[in-house]
Amino acid sequence: MVISASRSPRGSRPAIEGPGFLARADLQVLFDLLREDGRRLIGPTVSDGSIIYDDITSVDQLPRGWGDEQSPGRYRLRRRGDERLFGYVVGPTAWKKWTFPALIPLTRSTHDGHKVSFEPEQATAPKLAFLGARACELAALGVQDRVLIGTEFIDPDYMVRRANVFVVAVQCTTSASTCFCTSMGTGPEVTEGFDLSLTELDAGFLVDAGTPAGRAVLERLPLRAATAAEQYGVAATVAAVRARIGDPVPTDGLHDRLLAQLDHPRWAQVAERCITCGNCTLACPTCFCTTLTQTTDLSGETALASRSWDSCFSPGFAKVAGGSFRARPRDRYRQWLTHKFATWWDQFGTSGCVGCGRCITWCPVGIDVRDELNAIAPPVPLSPESRLVEPVAATPNEFVTARVVNTKAETADTTTLTLTGVDPAFSHGSTGQFAMVALPGFPPLPISISRFLTDGIELTIRGAGPATKAMCALQVGDQVGLRGPLGNNWPLDRAVGRDLVIVTGGIGLAPLRPVLHAIVADRRRFGDVKLFYGARTPADLIYRDELERWGKRDGIDVSLTVDRAGPDWSGRVGIVTHLFDQAVWDGSNMIAFVCGPERMMQAASTTLAGRGVSASRIHVTLERHMECGIGLCGHCQMGKYFVCRDGPVFSIAQLGDTFGREGI
Amino acid sequence: MAHAPVAARPRVGVVKFASCDGCQLTLLDLEDELLSVVEHFDIVDFPEATSARSAGPYDVLFVEGSVSEPAHLERIVELRRRTRFLVTIGACATAGGIQALRNWGDHDAFRLGVYAHPEWIASLARSTPVSEHVTVDAELRGCPIDPGQLVELLTALTTGRRPQLRDEAVCMECKRSGVVCVMVSKGIPCLGQVTQTGCGAICPRFGRGCYGCFGPREQANAAGLTRHLQMAGDRPREEIGRLFAGFTAYSEPFRSMVTELGGARTGRGTTTTTAAEPAPRGGKA
Repeated sequence: MVISASRSPRGSRPAIEGPGFLARADLQVLFDLLREDGRRLIGPTVSDGSIIYDDITSVDQLPRGWGDEQSPGRYRLRRRGDERLFGYVVGPTAWKKWTFPALIPLTRSTHDGHKVSFEPEQATAPKLAFLGARACELAALGVQDRVLIGTEFIDPDYMVRRANVFVVAVQCTTSASTCFCTSMGTGPEVTEGFDLSLTELDAGFLVDAGTPAGRAVLERLPLRAATAAEQYGVAATVAAVRARIGDPVPTDGLHDRLLAQLDHPRWAQVAERCITCGNCTLACPTCFCTTLTQTTDLSGETALASRSWDSCFSPGFAKVAGGSFRARPRDRYRQWLTHKFATWWDQFGTSGCVGCGRCITWCPVGIDVRDELNAIAPPVPLSPESRLVEPVAATPNEFVTARVVNTKAETADTTTLTLTGVDPAFSHGSTGQFAMVALPGFPPLPISISRFLTDGIELTIRGAGPATKAMCALQVGDQVGLRGPLGNNWPLDRAVGRDLVIVTGGIGLAPLRPVLHAIVADRRRFGDVKLFYGARTPADLIYRDELERWGKRDGIDVSLTVDRAGPDWSGRVGIVTHLFDQAVWDGSNMIAFVCGPERMMQAASTTLAGRGVSASRIHVTLERHMECGIGLCGHCQMGKYFVCRDGPVFSIAQLGDTFGREGI
Repeated sequence: MAHAPVAARPRVGVVKFASCDGCQLTLLDLEDELLSVVEHFDIVDFPEATSARSAGPYDVLFVEGSVSEPAHLERIVELRRRTRFLVTIGACATAGGIQALRNWGDHDAFRLGVYAHPEWIASLARSTPVSEHVTVDAELRGCPIDPGQLVELLTALTTGRRPQLRDEAVCMECKRSGVVCVMVSKGIPCLGQVTQTGCGAICPRFGRGCYGCFGPREQANAAGLTRHLQMAGDRPREEIGRLFAGFTAYSEPFRSMVTELGGARTGRGTTTTTAAEPAPRGGKA
């Protein structure tokens, strides 16, 4: 259906279902309608070597034929070789310049003798139309809405300004290397937060309304209905933009991943590059921090308090009489990044970042927030997966079965069983998890999984009682019952980029063996890795072949010790904590995994703490009586935790003064 | 910093050391405020404005210029003794000024090279900021100082409040006023990131890089900026050194950058004495 291009009185035309098509030559009609409505038009225009947002009145002021190239710390205009008006990506200006201005007067006050008075500045706002807001920018307006007018206390100036804005969105048909709206879930598709939306085609624009106000304007435009081909073409173009951007910052679990890395060494490294100039925060379309300034006249009788944009990167931002709470640049970078991507969620129920990439492009030294996030809180799960799988046979009365395909006597009393035919959940278990292992008539026992195979697992069992002795006596072809994998895992993702020390003794190496396998499989992601391992006698060392291989071939610094040596032992003699204590190592960038008797783990953590490894970076695995493995039977309670469900891996910081205390 | 008015009608002096007088003139250029300033302040000593002289004491003394001659050493101490609130104004007084570039050169060679009668010239080997000699209560940075900051200081003095002289990057002013970053959009090296604000970002407004006349801001990461310019901009060391070798070159950390990278141009017949590498462009006879 073609509708006459001449303008006709409102309501006299049949309504268009779905988007309409506006000819390129008729875009000025939209400008004029909005201006007739008493609105100042703010839109893109070329100025000073970039595409900024500014007051415009005519289509001729749009950046016709201009595109941009953006990369960390770099922005350049380029000719596109076509007539596109919106063929660029977001530039240096954010719409907050009009909804949340850089400087506004707040309060005028006077001092007359003993009398003081305060006069609030009345919020006023011009009627504006934003022309060309992108999906990420609509999201940014939404974020500021939540922050400034979405909670109990509101910013009256913002409220008035925001209410007076008519938003004309534009779909992105191109992207920059700095874009990551796809990761932040804000774009590139325009879906909400606009009055009218435009999508640019060669011949014109698809126009759609998002609000009744937008519909009212749309109905006055000289439109025809968009063809199916036009609509399909637009969807395909935007989908191509999405594909081109990809997913540069996987956000799954980012909140927790980031907050778990408050002492990551990368904070100090990025602070050496960061100039703390504050450009990222002021270019950001959601940053809302401000500061008050007072000015007076010479008589001191009248004063004006003004509010202006401030930045958490400025040294004075967190200053009190005694100094700054965030004195070091690294503190301020961490504050900014953790606020944007983590604590903003806690405060406002949304991310503080919309993925527009301004902080990347307009960082004068080109720090890329995506790289920092991926380095500090790495998104790629390690193998085996660091996220825990759903256990099978979770309830205590169910079991799945598995078949023994290999047995290996590790020592006189310890055997490793290789099981196959297990449920796939076991193969996808994580380092440090355990299985409840059962034979008919015997109590099910929690056994650490000592190896994850593609189609099975290994269990290393010391025959200490009747049930474990029965398990050690299993032969190839025998079956066992399993539940799991249960419990939590070693926080191997926190060890990425750090030095790792593993301290253990005897059978305690079993739950740590998958950690070593994961490190060997991806050795470059870790710093120095040291294994301190002790046993009663040389014959009590388990995994002897692997110990040799890890040390000789795989770049693990393996130190062994025994309590009592035989004639064929030329290594160290003594307890493992002494060996560990006497060794030369630097704890500044270290994370520690410790498994052994509680007294041994306590001694190890004292040594670690003495070398600067904080309690949150020392992890231990606890042994307790477990029957159900899922926190129902109550046996394994320790303080506020069930060791089976909340552990068995805990940081010393989590355990507090219950760790090592007698009788807990 | 004052927390109560310095005095009912403070006695104000304006004095100079080694400088061009431009900062003092900023006071005279306050045309709208000038009458009110004279009403609220008793200007007792200001050679650029009046022939009246005073030996003090001063409630407020504005000191322009760097300590550059042997006689300055005693004079600044004496002035400090007669002053309650001493304010240094301008890059010379606060940083040693452009003349502090001689601190990297051979002082005697300069005198011989420049003056017909070097024996008539009494100058110190180093040009130094006032704060190197006496306690300073407030600084107004810049070459020249900013009239807005001067008014801010004066009004703060009459009300006894803390003057709102922000210690933040020039970038903040660029962003607040919508000036597009010259470094990002044009590749022009700019010291705005490491320079204290107060100028209103005047150079970037005109499409130029900041050359740091307001001097380094608190915790200025000059080394980080240098590394970026070397790596991303592929600029030679001395060129980066020259960026820092301006009106406030002698303030740390700009000073360390100039010393490390070279870039303090030396006069004819002189040599760079303290730079890690001699400046190859110096020594044109």
